[in-house]
Amino acid sequence: MIEINNISKSFAGKQAVKDLQLSVPDGKIFGFLGPNGAGKSTTIKMMTGILPIDNGSITMNGIDISKEPMKAKHHFGYVPDRSDIFLRLKGIEYLNFIADVFEVPKSARKEKIEYLTKSFGIYEALNDHIQTYSHGMRQKIVVSGVLLHDPDIWILDEPLTGLDPKSSYTLKEMMREHAAKGKIVFFSTHVLEVVEQLCDEVAIINDGHVQFKGNMSEMKQQFKEDDNLERLFLELTQND
Amino acid sequence: MIKAWKLMRVMLKMQLSLAGKSSMEKASYLLFGLAMIPFGALILFFIQGLISNMYQALAPSGNESVILGLLFVMMTFFFCFVSIGTVLSSFYFAEDVESFIALPFQPYQILFGKSAVPFLSLYGLNSVLLLPSLIFYGLASNAGALYYIYAFVIWVLIPVIPFVFTSIVLMFIMRFANVSKNKDRTKVLVGLLGFVFAIGFNVLIRLDSGGEGGELAQLVTEQNAMLQLVTKFFPPAFISSIALTEPAAFTGILYFLLMILLSVGAVIMFLTVGQQVYFKGVLGLSGGKRGTFKEKNVQKHIQEQPILYSLWKKELRIIFRTPTFFTQIVVQSLFLPVFLIILLIIDPSSPLTGLGGQMEGMEDKKVILSMFGLTVVALGINPASFSSISRDGKSWFNHLYLPIPASKVLLSKLLVSFFMNVLSLVLLSIAALFILDIPFMMWVLWFILSLVMSWFASIAGLMIDLYNPKLNWTDEREVFKGRFVGLVPLAVEAVLFGVVLLFLWNMEAVQGAVNVSIILIALLILFIASAHIGLKRLTKAKYYKIN
Repeated sequence: MIEINNISKSFAGKQAVKDLQLSVPDGKIFGFLGPNGAGKSTTIKMMTGILPIDNGSITMNGIDISKEPMKAKHHFGYVPDRSDIFLRLKGIEYLNFIADVFEVPKSARKEKIEYLTKSFGIYEALNDHIQTYSHGMRQKIVVSGVLLHDPDIWILDEPLTGLDPKSSYTLKEMMREHAAKGKIVFFSTHVLEVVEQLCDEVAIINDGHVQFKGNMSEMKQQFKEDDNLERLFLELTQND
Repeated sequence: MIKAWKLMRVMLKMQLSLAGKSSMEKASYLLFGLAMIPFGALILFFIQGLISNMYQALAPSGNESVILGLLFVMMTFFFCFVSIGTVLSSFYFAEDVESFIALPFQPYQILFGKSAVPFLSLYGLNSVLLLPSLIFYGLASNAGALYYIYAFVIWVLIPVIPFVFTSIVLMFIMRFANVSKNKDRTKVLVGLLGFVFAIGFNVLIRLDSGGEGGELAQLVTEQNAMLQLVTKFFPPAFISSIALTEPAAFTGILYFLLMILLSVGAVIMFLTVGQQVYFKGVLGLSGGKRGTFKEKNVQKHIQEQPILYSLWKKELRIIFRTPTFFTQIVVQSLFLPVFLIILLIIDPSSPLTGLGGQMEGMEDKKVILSMFGLTVVALGINPASFSSISRDGKSWFNHLYLPIPASKVLLSKLLVSFFMNVLSLVLLSIAALFILDIPFMMWVLWFILSLVMSWFASIAGLMIDLYNPKLNWTDEREVFKGRFVGLVPLAVEAVLFGVVLLFLWNMEAVQGAVNVSIILIALLILFIASAHIGLKRLTKAKYYKIN
């Protein structure tokens, strides 16, 4: 369970996130939506310990990310929105490094690495430097790394960007399976079709606070029944 | 050409803009500028003394043009040396190169724009060294207005030919380098050119000026001979010198016009060659080699390692595989010792060779203090330490969401800079033991002291970088270029150990190499302990706020 309790964050006098309150129950695929600059990335960075929280608290499975960061970080896996990281390492070196960080035992890491990279079709590129990978391949290696230690909570920032249809399908299936096991997938995206297909619950954030939170049917009920998500999104996030 | 000018303005703005820099960073530039004033005055004073003395000595025999010749040759060397780095960085390694290629520009237009920053950096050097020298020469020779007009024009023109020459050579090298399969390795080799050039130039001069030394008159003639030999390879230096020595005479005017003509010709040649060759070197440079897949290579990498070792290995891999980091960190750490060894080998008559024998007359205490003092200077600037955080660039945030304690990440970085220092110490030891014949016991003491000193230097560098890292770079060279932070640890160490060494040197109560080493080690341990406390506090204050 993710609990976000009235968090706030300011940058140089400008408030990026205001009193944001959100809870994500187990067993859900949770879509986090919002226009550019709404505070999505700032919120995710606070959830993952990249940015310190000004006010409020965030807990992952009951562990406070500010108070016990090392313990909390073992409970989630995070795919950042940029995949051009550790470019000078070989794919396999990167994965082994991540496995060392999460202390994955040798036999399990071997099995996991093979399973994940073969599912994404990058196993045969593992000996090459990440720098030589295409954008989609880089995204796949990062996703594989995150899933190595089998975290309870997946936090994915724009995870489908750059993936080919097959890998995109594979990842979506993995997300469904993960949620079906009673665990959490929290992901941000701009692709509304994916949200409609995949999400059990959504939150729409605008100007630093939550505009709407609920499941898809509640969302449609609250607005016009026959409207599509795109129109709803535009209506919710327009700044008049 | 209008397009090329516009492009140049955009590129200059992008590289030199202070936008996005913190007020602290801006203030540090200002402070650095102010701190440089006394240093600049010192250089001016030195140049003035040198030129007026040389003029007085050489004018009676009509040899004063030698001063200008020597000056221009020296500047040409500096321009070529500096250009190797800046041209490679700007033309080939900067991340923005590819985004310009996609725009409808001719190769020469991109090249023209890309030349602005490296060319301007030459004028920095030109203003500091050549401008005052030409003025002092004018004053010493009581020159008229015509001299100053010529001098100004030549000052403007003098960087052109070395810059064009270096660029064209590099463009040809990169054109062939780009054909090779392992781009990164080729980049490393090309990056080494600067060092090869510097060592080669030194070796050339030393071999040429070799001989027994001896009387002053003989030395002067030999130096003249060397100068003539060297100016033979640098015609612009010869032409400029003649133009400035006889500005009013027909030969002077002729050589002055010839210099202008040559410079214009050089620019035209640069753009013409660039139009043909530049894109061949740059297209596809950012790509890399994809090897054939071997299952066992994957399997052998899958192994459990302690996280500290894993982090350390990752850092070293990144340093050794990134061309800029390799040349700036590894090569530079090894440069000084290798340079020393080469010079000692090619010049066995050097006063340094057999230093061990000469030491016999010196007090042991003073020997070890001198050796330690030299180590402080040699290891004071450790590029691996003051780039510890900045090297990660925009990937830094990865350390924040992974469950690795800050102390472990920083310790791995400390171990990397320490390791680099150990590499130089090992090489210096070879020179000390086998070429300089330093007594074994002295070497042992020096080696232990240097190891402990390295740890302190590594922490000092890391703290500076943690305090003010540069993460938003587009080209790895920005981590080192124009960052004066590397000088801060050196300054701290120089002051700190300067006082300690001076004190121990003059203290009658402390005698013997062993005793003085024990005191030094005790002090070093004290300094290191304080530095660790400082680092801990700084980590708490800054680590999670770097973004």
